Amino acid sequence: MKTLIQRNIPTYLVALLVIVSINFVLPRMMPGDPLMAIYGEEALVAMTPELKAFLLRSFALDRPLWQQFLVYLGQTFQGNLGFSYYHSAPTFEVILGRLPWTLLLVGTALILSTGLGVILGIESGWRRGRSLDRTILSGLMALSGFPDFFLAMVLLLVFGVFLKLLPLSGSLTPYSGLSGFALALDVLRHLILPVSALTLGHVAGNYLLTRSTMVTVIKEPFVRVARAKGLPDRIVQYRHAGRNALLPVVTRTGIWLGRIVTGTLFVEVIFAYPGLGSLTYQALLTRDYAVLQGVLLLVAVLVLVANFCADLACARMDPRIQHAY
Amino acid sequence: MHISIRGQFRTNRFGQAGVVILLIMAALALLSPVLAVDDPNHQTHEAFEPPSLAHILGTNHVGQDNWSRLLHGARTSLLVGFFAASAATLIGLIVGGSCALRGGIYDAVVMRFVDALLIIPAVIVLILVAAYVNPRLPLLIVLISLLSWSGGARIVRAQTLSLKERSHIAAARTFGGHGWYVMHRHIVPDLGPILVVEFIHSFRRAVFMEAGLAFLGIGDPTTVSWGSIMKNAVDYSYMGVWGWWLVPAGLALSLTILSLTFIGHTLEPMMEPRLMEEAVA
Repeated sequence: MKTLIQRNIPTYLVALLVIVSINFVLPRMMPGDPLMAIYGEEALVAMTPELKAFLLRSFALDRPLWQQFLVYLGQTFQGNLGFSYYHSAPTFEVILGRLPWTLLLVGTALILSTGLGVILGIESGWRRGRSLDRTILSGLMALSGFPDFFLAMVLLLVFGVFLKLLPLSGSLTPYSGLSGFALALDVLRHLILPVSALTLGHVAGNYLLTRSTMVTVIKEPFVRVARAKGLPDRIVQYRHAGRNALLPVVTRTGIWLGRIVTGTLFVEVIFAYPGLGSLTYQALLTRDYAVLQGVLLLVAVLVLVANFCADLACARMDPRIQHAY
Repeated sequence: MHISIRGQFRTNRFGQAGVVILLIMAALALLSPVLAVDDPNHQTHEAFEPPSLAHILGTNHVGQDNWSRLLHGARTSLLVGFFAASAATLIGLIVGGSCALRGGIYDAVVMRFVDALLIIPAVIVLILVAAYVNPRLPLLIVLISLLSWSGGARIVRAQTLSLKERSHIAAARTFGGHGWYVMHRHIVPDLGPILVVEFIHSFRRAVFMEAGLAFLGIGDPTTVSWGSIMKNAVDYSYMGVWGWWLVPAGLALSLTILSLTFIGHTLEPMMEPRLMEEAVA
């Protein structure tokens, strides 16, 4: 019997290979000079002959395809993702500079939407069919129809433009010279709107999942035993039933992360938040293919790592899962 | 697996609302040549007009009629959704069904690939591919369906595996019914409800992806899309024109996605009969 983790590792490797292959094959399918296909016409004009020769050499573009692929794999795993002509810096550095902002946004949104979804799901599933359950259910179902980027626009208009309560764009007040606590507060103020948009857009998934597990879990004998022992509702709700309802949520954290990252791409564009989303949008406008490829690879790696961590967490939380397959 | 789709909707108000909204959207899309007052791409000098009798939702930054664009946006959205969802469901059925029926190495290898595809964030791949090929609508539909069939394949496979063991299918096999015959004669009809749910989910994802990509400015600029309408409107929101430019497109998109969510949620119990007893709303 293989454990869950052993079973899933090949999947993650295949996923990584698929991404790397897309990155490798796509530019080479385009007609014309490989350098031009990889970097685009504008980039080629702006390049010095030295840079061209360097890129040609480091990615073995003058050799047969299979050799190119091996070199490409080698370079990628060393962190050489090519050269961003627009930022005139190595792609890896450009992306790394933007990554912390996206991680802050995605991390906060993931924690908030999971936490909120689980708590509401537990409360709602516990009171299935009663008025509070129905209110939360219809409210969140309605919310789940709104794409996160539309929510972001509405929040921007209401809180940024009309009420003027929160900043419209960016992640910091530029040239403010703030430091320490004031700086943290400034970052937080800029974070509120984008994080709210993402949280509101993604809370329904976790909520529905927790609620439906909760509905089946509360029928199990151990819950009845816990109640029969005279334990207070709150303890049965969270320690007995809720804990079991948490499992499918953790299993799916990796997938939620993928969705939230996708949502972040759009939300960042709306709030001009200086993370990977804005970088992607800018790269799209300037046809900076190296950056687009780098972002795809990095996001894929992030999602895969998150899935792997979710597997580890699940195996710890429920030993049965170890041998479930 | 004898669950009536109509029965699901009879008791579920969410489902009813979803169907009504979707039908209205479809009607608007179908009637758009009649209801639109102008060619959606016809540019005039009357830019940023507020709503009036001639332009009930005003005009945009290049003087195009917002109402006509909204209607044609519905067309694009539903067209992409319908065809991408059909293709994705079909691919899912073929891959999932063949994996369950054949088993062995074929199953193991293909399902590894399916799982991998499930994890990869589709929208980001789509952005990259679209940046290279700059797809027009038919190609966009192909790309979306190629990236969104994997969830369906998993569900179809799981269900087919359990169907395969049932007596009527075992009987068909002992009579010499083979592969494709068993598949289309016995398994596909029994998979019906699951395929419908999968179709609805793929539909929703495709509508969302189309709007998202158009929002980022990917694709054919002459295609009218809710996503690109919203992007243009947001860029001019400081002019106070968002009320009749941004909001209608955003609401139309949200309502479409909402209606599909409701329909999907209504049909969900058909895939998980344990939830059947739970009457939602």
